[in-house]
Amino acid sequence: MAMIDLKFNHVSKRYKVRANEDESAATSNPILRKLRQLRRGSQDFWALRDVTFEVERSEALGIIGHNGAGKSTILKLLSNITTPTSGQITINGRLSALIEVGSGFHPELTGRENVYLSGSILGMRRREITEKLDQIVEFAGIRQFIDVPVKRYSSGMYVRLGFSIAAHLDPDVLLLDEVLAVGDAAFQAKCLQRITDLKHGGKTIVFVSHDLGSVERLCDRVLLVQRGEVAASGPPREVIAEYQRLAGGFTASQPPAAQAGINTRRIEIRSVVFRDSLGNETSAFKTGGPLSVSIEYFAHERVEDAVFELFFYAGDEELHCQLTTESPERRLEVEPGRGRVEFSCPELGLQPGIYHLDATVVQREPLEGIEWQYHCAMMRVDPGRIVRGRFYTPHDWTIKSEPEADAGAHEDALGQIVSKI
Amino acid sequence: MSSDITPEQLRDDAAFDSRERRITVIGAPSISMGGVLRDVAKLSHYRDLLYTLSVHRVKVRYKQSVLGVAWAVLQPLSLMLIYTLIFSYIARMPSDGIPYAVFAYSALLPWTYFSTALVNSTNGLVSHADLVTKVYFPREILPLTYVIAALFDFLVASTVFAGLLIYYNVQLTWMALYSIPIIFVLTCFATAVALLFSATQVRFRDIGVAMPLLMQLWMFASPVVYPLSAVPAWLRPFYMLNPMAGIIESFRRVMLQGEPPDFTSLGVALLASLVLLAISYVYFKRVEATIADVI
Repeated sequence: MAMIDLKFNHVSKRYKVRANEDESAATSNPILRKLRQLRRGSQDFWALRDVTFEVERSEALGIIGHNGAGKSTILKLLSNITTPTSGQITINGRLSALIEVGSGFHPELTGRENVYLSGSILGMRRREITEKLDQIVEFAGIRQFIDVPVKRYSSGMYVRLGFSIAAHLDPDVLLLDEVLAVGDAAFQAKCLQRITDLKHGGKTIVFVSHDLGSVERLCDRVLLVQRGEVAASGPPREVIAEYQRLAGGFTASQPPAAQAGINTRRIEIRSVVFRDSLGNETSAFKTGGPLSVSIEYFAHERVEDAVFELFFYAGDEELHCQLTTESPERRLEVEPGRGRVEFSCPELGLQPGIYHLDATVVQREPLEGIEWQYHCAMMRVDPGRIVRGRFYTPHDWTIKSEPEADAGAHEDALGQIVSKI
Repeated sequence: MSSDITPEQLRDDAAFDSRERRITVIGAPSISMGGVLRDVAKLSHYRDLLYTLSVHRVKVRYKQSVLGVAWAVLQPLSLMLIYTLIFSYIARMPSDGIPYAVFAYSALLPWTYFSTALVNSTNGLVSHADLVTKVYFPREILPLTYVIAALFDFLVASTVFAGLLIYYNVQLTWMALYSIPIIFVLTCFATAVALLFSATQVRFRDIGVAMPLLMQLWMFASPVVYPLSAVPAWLRPFYMLNPMAGIIESFRRVMLQGEPPDFTSLGVALLASLVLLAISYVYFKRVEATIADVI
């Protein structure tokens, strides 16, 4: 029988949430108010309920789920940052968690001093750190800056050093939380390679990420967490599909629920469908690649000036972009019956991640909300064109060089050739 | 990809490094004798962190200040000068026949150690909130490093004490060796209070705000600027309940007067320190269990 390195045994975690101040308790006396607050106590919030799972030695377990589903609570419990309210967690061996790289750095100290500081915070002995110092510095690629205070480091150097320290610890169990979301593409690839090496070297890995592509590549098994409970567990492909089905579980067969009272049902949105360049249904796209998405509707009556819109929300519920049919010159008239609005973007600007879509229809003149499907579809963006920053913006470029005098003739000839082409 | 360790090497490492795996069990917070002993044992695994962080404290404190380590001396020295001016020249405070400057400094030395340790460690957990919510290590290390850094300052400031002794021609006797157990008792007491205050500060920030006032009052309740002999006899039994009274008085006696320490009051201080240390430690570990949720 395989060794079990990690075990969650009926673990629950309750957080106390300070109850909201109600009007009746309001008083101008701060001491009285504080006392009342203390007496009224707090409300319970169960971040995890009766979670049980095991991880075998040298297995890589992925944990996926929405923000707030309980993933980070699991990580915090595993890394002993906080303790469970009930249940028990057993860890066999040394565990190191990479929850936020470089969080233990002190700006005034040099890179070398910080290596010792972070290393010992993560549980390494000084002797071990000295042995690994060269490897750490080499991997991070900051040899010439190792005796410079880290406050003078660029953010890239900072992150590289942080990851390098954690990756060179010699843990039996490694916890990774979105670590691949840092650094440039080359360094990300290097990190992924390092993690793969560690895995082949027999380390047990728990990987929490929104990057479903990496989860699928790296993990042997995936756990889907929803509302503090384990909703599914199994081979990556199946669980990820289940996650996408649950999150984007809106199809024409399900009666769309009325949202926020603006639903007049003159036009019903039946479904939101994504297609790839060949016209096949999909829900995965790439940054910089084409996107095609359509809203299928059924209009019960004629609407003279309709606007269809799609809103893309990331896991943090932040609105990242919007597609709209609204235009100052054009009016969109919708005739009764079935129809489809197709949006297409030649180059998708969204960064990798999971996005939830809201689909809406409004009438512009006079302004009236007709239909709003909240989070009715989900799509995944995988790394395609690797770009830094918040989003990719499609762009063109040209180069204009001023030829030096002696090279002039040759350049002219080249110019002519180019113009012929 | 220039990965510096091949998978084969790693596997070899794992085989070579047949260190037994420690099994960690994390459960709901509870108080038990075994649990406390386990915590203390775990602390010893982290002694390198204790060392590194303490060195870090000292380095960071002095790295960007022009006077550097001299600050460790300046604080007790300037207080000594002020108190000498006020209590010796103006108020004519008795000092058991010892020059007032060295009389005051002999008490300010252990007192500054105590107050620096407390003032800094009280904020120790709260000021490391981002660390505490992201990495696990035994949290008591944070307040402990402040106590150790203050001990370092104490040693630096002791050099000035040596200079004063020579200047005022005070002969050290073998009794001065008693200062070592006295500093040990003081360290136990400072650690106990540091654990208590830093854990309480997580929930009630009032402690940090009250610190300057509290330390001021505490100093005047200890024989720092006046001799113990000036305390009325009827008040003595209550007065000596303050462990700092026995510690400071004993330190001064062994260093300046060549007399053995007052074993009764020092014994009381030791007992009080150990009892408080045990209670504070259990309390601290109880708070630690959910510290990341509330900090």
